[in-house]
Order: sequence, then structure tokens, then C-alpha cells
Amino acid sequence: MNITILFGTESGNSELVAEDLGAELGAHHDDVEVRDLQSFDPSELSAERFYLVICSTHGEGDLPNTAIPFAEAFDAAPPELAGVRYAMFGLGDMFYEETYSQGSEHLDRRFAERGAVRVGEYGRHDASSWDLPSDAALAWLPGVLAAASVPA
Amino acid sequence: MTTVPRPQIAVVGSGPSGCYLAQAILRALPTAELTIFDRLVSPFGLVRYGVAADHQHTKAITRQFDRLFQGGGARFAGGIRIGDDVGLAALRDAFDAVILATGLPADRPLDVPGADLPGVVGAGAVTRALNAHPDAPTRLPALGGDVVLLGAGNVALDVLRFLVKDRSGYAESDVADEALAGYLAAPARRVVLVSRSAAAASKGDPQMLRELAALPRARYSVPDPAGPADPASPAGPADAGDRTAAARAAAVAALVDPDRGPFPGPEVELRFGAAPLRILGTERVTGVELDVAGERIVIPADAVISAIGFAGEPRDEVGRLIAETPPDPASGRLGAGLYRAGWAQRGPRGAIPENRASAKLVADELLADLASGALAVDGDRPGFAGLPPETRARAVDYEHWLVLDAHERSTAPADRVRRKLPDHDAMVGIARGDAAAPHPHP
Ligand SMILES: Cc1cc2nc3c(=O)[nH]c(=O)nc-3n(C[C@H](O)[C@H](O)[C@H](O)COP(=O)(O)OP(=O)(O)OC[C@H]3O[C@@H](n4cnc5c(N)ncnc54)[C@H](O)[C@@H]3O)c2cc1C
Ligand SMILES: Cc1cc2nc3c(=O)[nH]c(=O)nc-3n(C[C@H](O)[C@H](O)[C@H](O)COP(=O)(O)O)c2cc1C
Repeated sequence: MNITILFGTESGNSELVAEDLGAELGAHHDDVEVRDLQSFDPSELSAERFYLVICSTHGEGDLPNTAIPFAEAFDAAPPELAGVRYAMFGLGDMFYEETYSQGSEHLDRRFAERGAVRVGEYGRHDASSWDLPSDAALAWLPGVLAAASVPA
Repeated sequence: MTTVPRPQIAVVGSGPSGCYLAQAILRALPTAELTIFDRLVSPFGLVRYGVAADHQHTKAITRQFDRLFQGGGARFAGGIRIGDDVGLAALRDAFDAVILATGLPADRPLDVPGADLPGVVGAGAVTRALNAHPDAPTRLPALGGDVVLLGAGNVALDVLRFLVKDRSGYAESDVADEALAGYLAAPARRVVLVSRSAAAASKGDPQMLRELAALPRARYSVPDPAGPADPASPAGPADAGDRTAAARAAAVAALVDPDRGPFPGPEVELRFGAAPLRILGTERVTGVELDVAGERIVIPADAVISAIGFAGEPRDEVGRLIAETPPDPASGRLGAGLYRAGWAQRGPRGAIPENRASAKLVADELLADLASGALAVDGDRPGFAGLPPETRARAVDYEHWLVLDAHERSTAPADRVRRKLPDHDAMVGIARGDAAAPHPHP
């Protein structure tokens, strides 16, 4: 499987998660890349690759700053995503009760609206729990990979 | 360009900006040898000593920074004050590049008459004492029954939360219990928060106000017209700024909602659109004169806590340099091979994540200087190994810090996640495993 890990972060946690997932996947898959959403164009999304999207929440349930240009480019020229499959892992904090983990959902909605299909469980990390974000993501990964290996 | 020999890079300050900067440099330049100095024994700057003790979820960012030191990617050299223990010139001789990430530790002075009266206290002094900072006294100054809090940013809201809470509000925190107990023995009966801006335009995060509303403590009122107004913008879709302003106004409205219930704790007046004119008193503070919509109002006060921002502190050569160089958010370059980042670069604005963005900018400048040759790396600089042997021997390293960290956690009283020692030398002793380290009470 060709895998692209995309991360959107503001305080760096999602980037670490993406790096750790990349290291884990790199051990078993040849073609694994980790990309910052800040320097990733929505038109690059392709059905040839499987995407793991790791994204935090900031402001009032908003996208982190580094993911905003991606969302804006997406809206300006919505890509055709039929055949694209992805999995989603959102970072947030239950301290922000009303907007918990909504940042990643802004991306999830966009992907779904354009025909991409989310596979596996929607992963979440709550910063008010004492789990490390990478531990939570590494525990979430096998289920997602199993779901992704089932042909669409 | 030929391949760059291992550049020796010194980062002065281990707060968020120093740590983000080290991360960014190591990602781009994995061969770099990084030393992060701090004048304190413990790393992480204001994450440890500014962020409120009852916000442990915010302090959890240190687990990201731990990575830097765990893998041996960066060396921690604590207990070394650059500009005093080691001169800036000596540091620049030993390292190819030096980045100052020293923050802005002093409370910005209040520029109204009477600001020097006893009883006027900076928010930094209060938050440091509650965080057991080794420079702060272990007890807070006596605040008395009537407290006026100047400012409405996040730091002011941290202080307000402290003034309204009782002991039960600190479960699972690392609050300095001695400072807390001193306050709770004679807590404020009346608190007046004074904000120059209207409620919707004030600086605090809506979430900080919601947290106050959800606490079963204190009674709030907003006596002035600049309270929770309708912040809806006249036309066009609401942008994030409008939504934040609306959320802030709604959170203030929830605080003063008559249905919120009468809770124990102080009476809190939120005075928005009010400007302090002078502090009244002869021997010590007795009141504050405010201008509210052109009208002069006097509020009685036993203490005034100013939470109006932070400034440089010229107590060493580096502190002087930072205090005297105006902020420049666009660039961290002070000269080839000398840079600054974080609050020392941008001024005292912005939460932890903002330091990541600015650290990236400064790391990019440094990398550009390396690529252009403006910053030449000849491979001859010794880095940490070039510092005087006494200095190297005195430096507290990351392993030492882990010993102190484990000690703080294991000696924490029930209901506390750690017990910080407020004394620098005692911290050094425990970090180094000195046999004479004092033991906690059973
Ligand atoms: C009271 C308070 C509460 C805050 N609460 C929050 C919060 O809840 N959430 C949030 O996101 N942000 C919060 N902030 C903002 C956040 O702390 C800052 O954005 C951030 O700490 C700035 O990082 P820095 O690395 O530039 O400075 P600092 O964190 O101040 O780090 C500077 C470091 O440099 C060291 N140093 C200074 N001079 C020298 C020297 N000469 N030699 C060696 N070392 C030196 C210091 O010991 C310190 O460790 C708070 C700020 C304050 C003041
Ligand atoms: C200013 C600020 C606002 C936040 N707002 C939210 C929020 O609305 N909802 C939420 O679930 N988490 C919120 N968070 C928590 C972050 O999503 C969480 O800390 C996450 O681990 C950050 O990941 P990152 O480092 O990749 O940006 C906020 C954090 C900060 C600092």
C-alpha cells in the first residue's frame, strides 16, 4: 500500500504523531510519506494512495492554523475525490467541551463531500486524558490498516 | 556549496520557543549539535512557571519537548545563566550560532500615578509564587479583602480564577500549597476586574471565561454599559475573529446570568470599558480611580494586581540586549550567527502554539544564512566542550532533571501531581543526587 500521512498542527502534537506513524509504517511498507498540510495541495490527492489524516483543533473548534490554507485551497478548487480512501485521527481536548475534536471534522466533511471514503474507526485523542497522542494513534493504526486492506 | 560540517548551535532558554526552535533545526539539520541552556535547573520556562497549576492539560506539551532530550538530539545545560555565568561573546566563540529564547520575565510596569505604592503587585509575581518559581517568595503578599485586578487577558483570567477558587479547585494540580494556603487563610471578599476594552473585544479566550462560569464559585456582575453587547458584525459572513468576540460576549453573559446561582466565594465586578487613572493611598494602596465612559469612579482596594503584560529584565548582558532591542515579529536575526525567538523576539504576546510558528521562521532564517554562507561553519567550533570545565561541571543535564522530576512526583502530597521545590540550590542538590537532599515530611 502507498501511504501518505498528512498532518495539520498548531502546537506540534499532530506532527509528532505523524512522524511516529510514519516510522511504524515505514518498517512494513515501501512507499510511506509524511506531509505537512501546509505544503500539500488538495489537487495532489489521488486514488493511488491511502491517506492517514492527523489533525488537531484550535480556536473555537476550528482547524489549526497550518491546515487553514489547505482548506481554503480545497474550497477554491474542490478536487474530485472518487476512489480516494482515507482514515482520520483527530486531536482535541475534552476541556473544550462544546467543540471537542472538531478541527479534524472540518477536513473529514470536505473529503466526504467530494466522494472520498473514510475507512476504519474515526480515531481521537483527548489531551485531558493522560495517554500520549502517539500511543493512542499507534493503537488505532492496526484496525485502520485492516479495514483499508479490504478492497473497496 | 560543500557539505556542512556539524554546526554547533546554542539555544539560550528552554521555554516553548527554545524547544520548538531546537525541533525545527534538528528536523532540517539532523547533524547539528544542539545545546539548550537555561538559567534554571528545570527545562520548559513558562510552561512550568507561568501556565496555571490547575491547567495540567496545557502543561502536557512538555511531553512533546521531552523527545528532544530523550533521543540525545539536544543537550540540556541547566543552571547556567548566559550573559553572566558565561558571557555572550564566549558563547558565540564556542558555537557557530546562538539563538536567544529568553522570554520576557518582568511584569510590565503600570504607568499611572501611585503605581509604586505598597500593595500594587504584578501578576507575574503572583503566578510565579503559585508555581513555586525559585526566584519568587514562597508566600504571596497579603492581598486583603478588596482586590482590584487590572487587565482582562488570559493571565488576568488565570489570576481571577485563583482569587475565586477554594482548595477543592486544585485536585491533580501542582500548585504551591504554601502560597495557596496563605491566600485561602484570608481570601478576597470582593474582586474588581478592570478592562479597557468592551467585553466582546477584551483579550481573554472565551474558554477561560466559560471555565469561570462553570466553576461553582463566586458571584459576577457587570455594572457598566460596555458589558456583553451584541458583537454581530454589520454585514458579511462572520470570520473567526467575530466568532471569538461573539463567544466571549456570550461567556460573559453566562457569568452574570441570574440563573447561575448564588455560589460561595467573592463578589466579582467585571468593569469593561474602564481605564485606571491612578492608584490611591499614602502608606499603601487604598483604592483605584477609574474613568468609566468619562465618569470618575473610585473603587476601594487593599491590593492591586496588574496583569497588563510582560517586559524584558536587564539583569544580565542578555537580558539587557533583549530589553533594549525592540520586538520584530518579521525577523529573529540580530546579526549573522546571532538570533532571537519567542517572546524575546516578538514581544509578550501569544500562547504556546504561536511560539512554534515563530520558531520555524527563525530556524528558516538560520538555514538560509547557512546556505548563503552568511553563517560559515568551519567545523572548528567546540560547542559545549569549549566552555570552561567548571561551567560544564556545574551544568545540570537532562538525566539530572529526570531525577528531580521523579523526586517531585514521588513526594507530591495526595491530590497533587507533583511538589515543586521553590529553592534553586535544593533543586540542584536533588537533581545531582546529593546525599544531603532534604526529605519530605511523612
Ligand atoms: C503567567 C502566564 C501564564 C501563561 N499561560 C499560558 C497558557 O495557559 N497557555 C498558553 O498557551 N500560553 C500561556 N502563556 C504564554 C506562554 O507561556 C508563552 O507564549 C511562552 O512561554 C513564551 O515562550 P518563550 O520560550 O519565548 O519564553 P519562556 O517560556 O519565558 O522561556 C524562557 C526561558 O529562558 C530562560 N532564560 C532567561 N534568561 C536566560 C539567560 N540569561 N540564560 C539562560 N536562560 C535564560 C528562562 O529561565 C526560561 O526558561 C502564559 C504566560 C504567562 C506569563
Ligand atoms: C488555544 C487553544 C484552543 C483549543 N481549542 C480546542 C477546541 O476548540 N476543541 C478541542 O477539542 N481542542 C482544542 N484545543 C486542544 C488541542 O486540540 C490539543 O491540545 C491538541 O493536542 C493540539 O494538537 P497540535 O499540537 O497538533 O496542534 C485547543 C488548544 C489550544 C492551545
